[in-house]
Amino acid sequence: MESKISLKLAWLAIIFAVLQSCEEPYLPSIPESTPQIVVEGYVEAGDSDQPVIVVLTKSIPYLSKVSSDVLAASFIQGATVQVNDQEKDVVLTEICLNDLPEEERKQALALLGITGDSIAYNICVYVDILDQIDRKIGGKYDLSVKIGDTLLTATTTIPQLVPLENFLWEMPPGKPNDTLAQLKVTINDPANQNDFYRYLTASQGGNLIPPLTSVTDDVLFDGQRFEFPLSKAEDRNADFDPDTFGYFLRNDSVSIKWCTIDKAHFDFWNTRDNAANSGGPFSSYTRIATNIKGGQGIWGGYAVNFYRLKVPEK
Amino acid sequence: MKQILLIFICALFSTLTLAQESFTISGYMRDAKSGETLIGANVFDETNPDQGTSTNTYGFYSLTLPQGKHILTFSYLGYQDKKYDIILDKNISLNVEMSEGVLIDEVVISAEKEERRKNVEGTQMGTIALPVENIKLLPAIFGEVDLLKAIQLLPGVLSSGEGNAGFYVRGGGPDQNLVLLDEALVYNAGHMLGFFSVFNSDAIKNTTLIKGGMPANYGGRLSSVLDIQMKDGNDKSYAVEGGIGIVSSRLTVQGPIVKNKSSFIVSGRRTYVLDLIQPALKGSSFEGTNYYFYDLNTKWNYVFSDKNRLFFSGYFGRDVLTFRQPTRDFYFDLPYGNKTATLRWNHLFNEKHFMNISAVYNDYKFEFDGGQDEFSFKLFSGVKDWNLKADFEYYQSNIHTFKYGANLTHHTLTPNTASAVLDDVEFSTQFKPKYAIEGALYFLDDIKLSQSFSINAGMRLSTFSQIGPYTSKLTSKTFGDFEFVKTYFTPEPRLSVNWKLNHNNSVKAGVSRTAQYLHLVSNSSSTLPADLWVPSTEIVKPQKGIQYALGYFRNFYKDMYETSIEVYYKDLYNQIDYADNYVNDISKEVEDAFVFGKGRAYGAELFIKKTTGKLNGWFGYTLSRSERSFEDIENGRWYPAVYDRTHDLSLVLNYKPAPKWDFGMVFIYGTGKLFTPVHGFFIVEQNINLFYGPRNSARLDAYHRLDISATYTPKANKERKFKGSWTFSVYNTYNRKNPFFVNFDIDTNTNTGESQITGSKITIFPIIPSITYNFKWNQK
Repeated sequence: MESKISLKLAWLAIIFAVLQSCEEPYLPSIPESTPQIVVEGYVEAGDSDQPVIVVLTKSIPYLSKVSSDVLAASFIQGATVQVNDQEKDVVLTEICLNDLPEEERKQALALLGITGDSIAYNICVYVDILDQIDRKIGGKYDLSVKIGDTLLTATTTIPQLVPLENFLWEMPPGKPNDTLAQLKVTINDPANQNDFYRYLTASQGGNLIPPLTSVTDDVLFDGQRFEFPLSKAEDRNADFDPDTFGYFLRNDSVSIKWCTIDKAHFDFWNTRDNAANSGGPFSSYTRIATNIKGGQGIWGGYAVNFYRLKVPEK
Repeated sequence: MKQILLIFICALFSTLTLAQESFTISGYMRDAKSGETLIGANVFDETNPDQGTSTNTYGFYSLTLPQGKHILTFSYLGYQDKKYDIILDKNISLNVEMSEGVLIDEVVISAEKEERRKNVEGTQMGTIALPVENIKLLPAIFGEVDLLKAIQLLPGVLSSGEGNAGFYVRGGGPDQNLVLLDEALVYNAGHMLGFFSVFNSDAIKNTTLIKGGMPANYGGRLSSVLDIQMKDGNDKSYAVEGGIGIVSSRLTVQGPIVKNKSSFIVSGRRTYVLDLIQPALKGSSFEGTNYYFYDLNTKWNYVFSDKNRLFFSGYFGRDVLTFRQPTRDFYFDLPYGNKTATLRWNHLFNEKHFMNISAVYNDYKFEFDGGQDEFSFKLFSGVKDWNLKADFEYYQSNIHTFKYGANLTHHTLTPNTASAVLDDVEFSTQFKPKYAIEGALYFLDDIKLSQSFSINAGMRLSTFSQIGPYTSKLTSKTFGDFEFVKTYFTPEPRLSVNWKLNHNNSVKAGVSRTAQYLHLVSNSSSTLPADLWVPSTEIVKPQKGIQYALGYFRNFYKDMYETSIEVYYKDLYNQIDYADNYVNDISKEVEDAFVFGKGRAYGAELFIKKTTGKLNGWFGYTLSRSERSFEDIENGRWYPAVYDRTHDLSLVLNYKPAPKWDFGMVFIYGTGKLFTPVHGFFIVEQNINLFYGPRNSARLDAYHRLDISATYTPKANKERKFKGSWTFSVYNTYNRKNPFFVNFDIDTNTNTGESQITGSKITIFPIIPSITYNFKWNQK
């Protein structure tokens, strides 16, 4: 008996030794690379008041530590950013948040989805201040960005709205739980067309954030009406808890931004999510797709359905 | 071409005239104790050693000699020579039983010597046979003897990763190796993400690797052939063999069904590491989660007469992963594995004409079945083949052998077929299996034109047709059952020549064209069980390759050392990959995401082998380059393939100071693996996104490792039925931290502006000691 136990312990020791991999810091010698110009711009229609906004940055070379100075320096100022809504050209106005009065600065930060006070660096954006661009379902928008002699262009569209229906709060599967709820929603996917969806959620008083996999196409459910569980988005930087992941807290106030997007916009987030989620020994790298000619990033149209919900008590 | 034809005709004529006053002696060579046929054993005329031949894969030989008296020597590595005085005045059938032993050193040396002469005298380049008994003496990780990892120690062959059984040959991809187990194609030769191979060494008799100048009887892959033969089973008496190791245990039983006529072998292996930690998982969030793999090999044969023999061999292996998370009602099962069955009929038309007909079935399946609450999800993919092949060997004379044959395969390739059920709504991918018929005819002629010049020329005509049922993606045309959708045809000429400079030196050269109609494209750094085999279709064209090789072969010190230097250059066409921004998505067919390009690979290989003495082993060094270019990847820039490794060196030593002890040592050094580095990052939606540099533009640190082993057989000399031995081995003896991969983590708070990207180097196998107990009952 004793020898059996010691044999078992020996096994466990061996298994432990084998399964325990070793991790060491690694600083690869990487050749200098020229920075890329990165565009992040959105045009939204439907349940959205957000004027057209474009952020221009330079990609930041690989460094082990990135300070706020480096981030602040990555914003590109003095560019000419112009959007055409097929009827007129509108030149966007450059605004640096530190130049704004405190109240407006807070509003602008909220618009950008940043909780205000702690931001340590100056953010500069290009905004359609007067909301002149005709943001509408079915619209097409051309973007052109001129930085010195460099010209970047992109085009995006805002597809038809496809709303969510029947919000149901259910007990999560598995072990009974009084504090968590699973959200189920219904969608009626239009038949015979390629639809692409993206969503973000806000909970516990936080900002809207995308879930780890934030987009889907309708290849598997084209033209169907069906109910599916909609996961709560989790902060990428937070620790992963396999028992609560994706569930909403009872009694919480929740926002859901449910959007239809076009193919190029989908490709950007699809590759981005994949790049952010992959890693590990067997996965290859994923280069993030872009619809920006001459640069990186995204010029994306959103058809927005916005929902404010209260999670019921059990 | 005309000149070559002319040479053939002349040679044919000359051998025909020679044959007029000659007779043939033919038969099988077998192990006296087990009745196991011996592959590659030699027979030669002692008075004229140039007159010799060796047995084929079925142990058959045929030697034609002039009328008169001859002393024939039969020899095989590790066996005592057998000599026969023969008066040849008619055709003779002679089956020879060889006894194992080292009774008289001289005898064994002469056997080995004959074997070693092949290095200088054979026409075939880049071919290495590894008897499984030699492989068993090498140190092995976790004590698991692994044929594929032994193959990786040969020059020109690279490991696909730390501890991985996957291999790359001369700059080719992992799907470009033809892996055959008793003629059945093995589509996925790895267990446990490739860390172990599917070949249970106890059931294996012989392994041959052909890495260049593939002879015309093989086809369907660009880079190499790994031809593995299973043991036939002891037809004289029952025998048992097994082993108990850290990771798995093995048991093999074999014996006669009808003595000297019919035998069987059954061999099994199963892992149990995670079974042992089940008690620890009890009550945790993951109770019920388990993983194991197992293999079952079996073979049965029946000798009807000297002219007819029937074999049946089968393999069944599965990896089974069961994941359970009861706290969330979440589960999935992930079983996958290969199944093969081969029915073979050996027939002798006469003493010179040998035939083998095989009917082969093989099947690789990958399944996933999971769910949570009212949601369930299933995924299935696989390959299934029915294959009929006929191979003929005609031993025209000692200097002239023909081989010819035909091969027909029906393939069914099931792409990722996914279905999901959510409450009562069902979703599924509408992909249908793809069907194809692959055929080949070949002719091969091995001829010795003079004492110093031999030629091995062959032609393989291969064809591949995608067949219905299918609806064309290009024309929307619908094809019915067996209706041809798209047909490809490739003539594949193969030629190698040997110019013997003198007794110890020869120069060999070869050129071979190869075509490959089934492809496995992996988006990962290693091949994974979920990777899909896809056929050539109206969209995917066959891969093609041409290889040129030149080598100098020399034996030293009375053939004690075999050496060679080979150089090669390969052009590869219609290579397949995924674009940089490919996202694996089971709702899309992979062929729609393929990009097509070209490749080239070149290198030099040095091989020094010491085959005799208490200390033996080999040293191999490869200097090589492998590159790819795709229009859709960085505008066609030539970049080093993931299979590229500049330097690769291995030193393998065996030392047997006394019968009770065997020591083994392996040292490996290789240039670091390539990867695509992070060059920077950009911020979108408050999150950091990595920005990658050119593909494969950085390397991990160099890889090196030393493994040692010692095998102790307490009663080695005693004639007893039961023998046990202990193998102690240490993997990565000096605990080198070889990087397995590099991972980039981002830790960021964009609100405060503080961000950190950390690269980390992950090592998985530190120093690993292991112990295995092996036993044999009534077995050599």
